[in-house]
Amino acid sequence: MNPGQVQYDYRHAIGGFFEFPTENARKLLPPHLHPVEPHHGQSVLSVMAFDFTAGSVDNIGPYGELVLSVHVAPRIEAGRPMARAAFYPFLVGTTTKESREHAIARWHLPHFPHNIDMNVTIGARDITVGAAHGGAPILDLHITDYQWETVEHYYQAYMHDASGSYMATMALRGRFSENEEERGGITLHPHAFTAGLDIDGVNTTPFRELWMRDGTQTFDPLETLQPGVR
Amino acid sequence: MASDSKGTTVTPPQTVAQGAAVRADHDYDYSNFYYSSSDDLFAIFGPYDDWWYGSARNNGYYLFSQPMSTKPGPEINLEDQLTHEHRDMLNLASYNYLGLSYHPEVVAAAKSALDHYGLGAAGSPILSGTMDLHMTLEKELAAFKKKPAAMVFATGYSTNVGLLSALLRPGDWAIMDQNVHASIVDGVIMSKANARFFRHNQPGDLEKKLKGTTGKKLVIVEGVYSMDGDTARLPELVAIAKAAGARVMIDEAHSTFVYGDNGRGVAESFEMEDQIDIHVGTFSKALGGQGGYVAGSQGLYNYLMGFARSRVFSCALAPAVTAGVLAALRVAAREPELRTTLWNNVAHFRKLMSDAGVDVGESTSQIIPIMIRNDRKILGIAQKLQRAGLYLQPIIFPAVAKHRSRFRVSISATHTPEQLNRAAGILVETLRSEGIL
Repeated sequence: MNPGQVQYDYRHAIGGFFEFPTENARKLLPPHLHPVEPHHGQSVLSVMAFDFTAGSVDNIGPYGELVLSVHVAPRIEAGRPMARAAFYPFLVGTTTKESREHAIARWHLPHFPHNIDMNVTIGARDITVGAAHGGAPILDLHITDYQWETVEHYYQAYMHDASGSYMATMALRGRFSENEEERGGITLHPHAFTAGLDIDGVNTTPFRELWMRDGTQTFDPLETLQPGVR
Repeated sequence: MASDSKGTTVTPPQTVAQGAAVRADHDYDYSNFYYSSSDDLFAIFGPYDDWWYGSARNNGYYLFSQPMSTKPGPEINLEDQLTHEHRDMLNLASYNYLGLSYHPEVVAAAKSALDHYGLGAAGSPILSGTMDLHMTLEKELAAFKKKPAAMVFATGYSTNVGLLSALLRPGDWAIMDQNVHASIVDGVIMSKANARFFRHNQPGDLEKKLKGTTGKKLVIVEGVYSMDGDTARLPELVAIAKAAGARVMIDEAHSTFVYGDNGRGVAESFEMEDQIDIHVGTFSKALGGQGGYVAGSQGLYNYLMGFARSRVFSCALAPAVTAGVLAALRVAAREPELRTTLWNNVAHFRKLMSDAGVDVGESTSQIIPIMIRNDRKILGIAQKLQRAGLYLQPIIFPAVAKHRSRFRVSISATHTPEQLNRAAGILVETLRSEGIL
């Protein structure tokens, strides 16, 4: 790990990519970011759930994290690793106060202000994460596996709050399985956590399912984007 | 290459002068280079070239667009773009479903038109580019399709783009099967109409996607889907569309002259031609030529004449091609035995695949996907097939979903059973040697 990098270790990181109306995506994005459209008029809602065991800073310990993001166009510049994809997380939920305060302070990530509950159920070839808050369900995400391999993938995360616009490059390493077999699914429940989504407009079957095991998520230092950068 | 403490295989990012660093491995595909943000329009070229020259091309992408030096018949000659060797191969990759691209009558008609009219039409169809040949083709095509009118376009792509951008306006709705051709999507984008995609061939999802739509609506399906070779579930889809007050369009690019007792397509085979408002097709598949058509009402024809911009602002179809297509249409209409031979060949090849345990997906048509379901292996298998003398095009993500990579077999009436046996033999032996079977 290089100086300035922050690493998080996870047991499981799962994700589903769901098509949803670009009209909804644009309402969630700051004006300088543009959604990726797999189909005309349809953007990508990414629902990721992490089962973290530890972080390399701030002594944040084990925690669960649920991230709702919109896929956006990655930034291409000389000397920067070519990102596999770029995300704008518009809402993050965590199971502990410490991890929430850490992510808000360090990464300017918008957070649900209360601890959430996350239940992970692992099957022979699938994994289900149920998220809830105060007994009210938020969502249930079901992901299936395919072939496994060990990878190192680069991504970009964009953040935006009252203090400015930011970006961080991150590397996800670990055992990886990805498929577009459309066997997974999501149930989004009406809840303050999902209030930004037109639930009826979100496809309930992911066009892509991802599952990583026993790996690391390493962030490069946060970069401040100049006004006008896109 | 190196391994870190966890045994992860790590390939250092390449050093590039102009662009971002791209790892020289399989982690990227075309989809990674479509969207990018930057201060420089050309910033994407560096990483793209790193990927292309550093890994993609030599790892199998060179197999696309290899030049053929013969007619697109059952046996061809192809130049290997890596070694520049020329190889004779069996061809299961061309669209020439009825073998009409080199039918003597078709070639003679094209030659004669070339002598008579010269090379090009030298004008837009709405200005000086319309020749008597175009009018004859449109008239005979309309008669073949049993529609009041048919309009000819210079390419299949421009047919859908011109048609949809002419008909739809902002606020209208286009509800499409998610697997429709790019030309349909592009036409809808150009029209600025609202777009929704329903899950492939799922009437229930079409019904769901039609909910909440108001005003003018068009439901768009294809007769035969080009990547899976399956046919539209027309009775259910059309019933739902009609119940919602939508017009219906069918693109029969791969099914006209192939399906139906008279070759009019999948709509004919379901006896639903009159329930579909717009019929689209191409001349580049079963007829072995080039161009496309829209068949429907005289009112539709009249309106497209004024507003189909891809036609208005393109040169008309070349006279030699027009004459060849006209001759091919006459042969296809006159000789239904060509379709009989095609379907016999399809049944023969399908049995060869079934006997060997080859996965052909959901196909029921002359397009037979050979499902490999391994994105990393398929390009290497394609290379082996070509070196063994069989030309098949690999179809990979993003053209199809990840891990649904396949070879697309196109059967032709001009294949002999012996050629199909040989091709199947090469295919099965190679798939077995690669552990696919």
